[in-house]
Amino acid sequence: MEHLLFSKPRDLFIDIVNPKDYVQIDSVSHMYQSLKTSVQKPLKMILLYGRPGTGKSMLLHKLHHDLSKDQKVFMIDIPIIDENDFLRVLAHKIYSYASRESLTLTRFLELSAAVNFSIIPIVLLDEAQLYSADVMEKIRLISDARALKFVITLHKTDNEDIIAKEHFQTRIWESIELQNASYEELKIYIQKKLLKSNCFDVANMVNDKNIKLITKLTKGNYREANKLMFALFSLYAWYEEHHPSKIKYNTLNTKWIEMAAIHTGLIRA
Amino acid sequence: MLDISKLERRWLKYKIKRSVPYIFLITTGIIFSVTIMWLYSDNHQPKKSVTASKTLPITIKAAVLPGDTHSENTMLLEPSMQFMQSIEIPAEVIPSSTSLKKSIATSPRPAVPSPPVSTVQTPKVPIPLSKSTQPIIKGKLTSIKRDDATFDIHELEERFKNNSNPNLGLYIARYHYDHANYSEAYNYALKTNALNTTLDESWLIFAKSLVKLGKTDQAKKTLQLYISNSNSESAKNFLDTLNKESSK
Repeated sequence: MEHLLFSKPRDLFIDIVNPKDYVQIDSVSHMYQSLKTSVQKPLKMILLYGRPGTGKSMLLHKLHHDLSKDQKVFMIDIPIIDENDFLRVLAHKIYSYASRESLTLTRFLELSAAVNFSIIPIVLLDEAQLYSADVMEKIRLISDARALKFVITLHKTDNEDIIAKEHFQTRIWESIELQNASYEELKIYIQKKLLKSNCFDVANMVNDKNIKLITKLTKGNYREANKLMFALFSLYAWYEEHHPSKIKYNTLNTKWIEMAAIHTGLIRA
Repeated sequence: MLDISKLERRWLKYKIKRSVPYIFLITTGIIFSVTIMWLYSDNHQPKKSVTASKTLPITIKAAVLPGDTHSENTMLLEPSMQFMQSIEIPAEVIPSSTSLKKSIATSPRPAVPSPPVSTVQTPKVPIPLSKSTQPIIKGKLTSIKRDDATFDIHELEERFKNNSNPNLGLYIARYHYDHANYSEAYNYALKTNALNTTLDESWLIFAKSLVKLGKTDQAKKTLQLYISNSNSESAKNFLDTLNKESSK
């Protein structure tokens, strides 16, 4: 039997990208507004980049959710690696052109010229670092022709500075970098998320010391924070079921936070 | 599904692993501290034994002088009279006047209100130390109490009568002068001058005492006489000062 007190907050932190779960934090909100403003500009490509877990995908989904009410927006959250498939899927989703045959770039541009949109359609590409150079080149040509506007997200990693790649450097675009959450931002994120779902009792348990530890363990990575909180509330749910006397309702148990970190791999033990 | 017991074991292992550097540091710190303390105490052990064997060569007697308004804040060191008494040196082995003069001149003066003095001179000749002359440190103030029972200028005076040591006479004269007993200072300076005519300070105390006793002219004459024999610069300076003051 599921326990009401900790099962609900646990489910809140399941790591799925849902625009409805978007938590407004000052810095992220600022990024989002600048992203929305950039989309309105006649830019061909907009780059959203940052380290993993900084909320790029969430922003992209949120943008899709908000923009799709007013204009044609297509989101590709799982990269389409095949070049022909990529153009075919775009043609189908944006121009409603269905074809089993492979689609050339020329044919695609003809289609876009044939269909007249008042506002240029926007294509949102998540995980763009997974696309091949050939596909990226086609994206560049399509955006140059102003057939479509692209918003892409990229991982910025220590090993590979993908932004430095030629096909990203030669285009005129706007780039927005997302940073990892600070202690304050993570605190707001966790508490807002709990309060948004009326988990007031649990929100009250989260104190500054807990947040400091969580920030230290996750290094401000939202995805890691979600995983950690999910594991933590799973632990709480277990203890509530088996050893309810062990639960202190005035603070989150540091030991259990560390146990959750061990479980999620944030601590090597 | 969470395996709680396994997680708890892993957590315990993690905590132990994490505590190891701290335990190591603390242990090292304790060992280091203990070693330092042991070495420190070891270095100080011989001094204690010296004290116990009463072989410290000189006794510096702390005295809170009467009428000293700075007695609470000021620490004055004064040679113990008991120490002086304990010196049973035959007249023939008394050091030369020059060396003894240096010794006395460098010893703390008893009654001059001066900034706190904490210098204890290293003695050259080992002289037995009596337990009663050990400084007593009391409370937070660094004041060393003098044992009044053992300090008596009269004892020194008696000893001076017996051994007629000019340096002891100079000491007594200086003591009286510093305590504003100018007639006594005059007497002892006179006796000292008779014993040793080359002690500048004794002549100066003699002349200064005369001035204090209102016999400035006699002081001048004495100084002139002394200057003619010794050509002492300090005597000349003092005479000039007296002349300037009288000419004003």
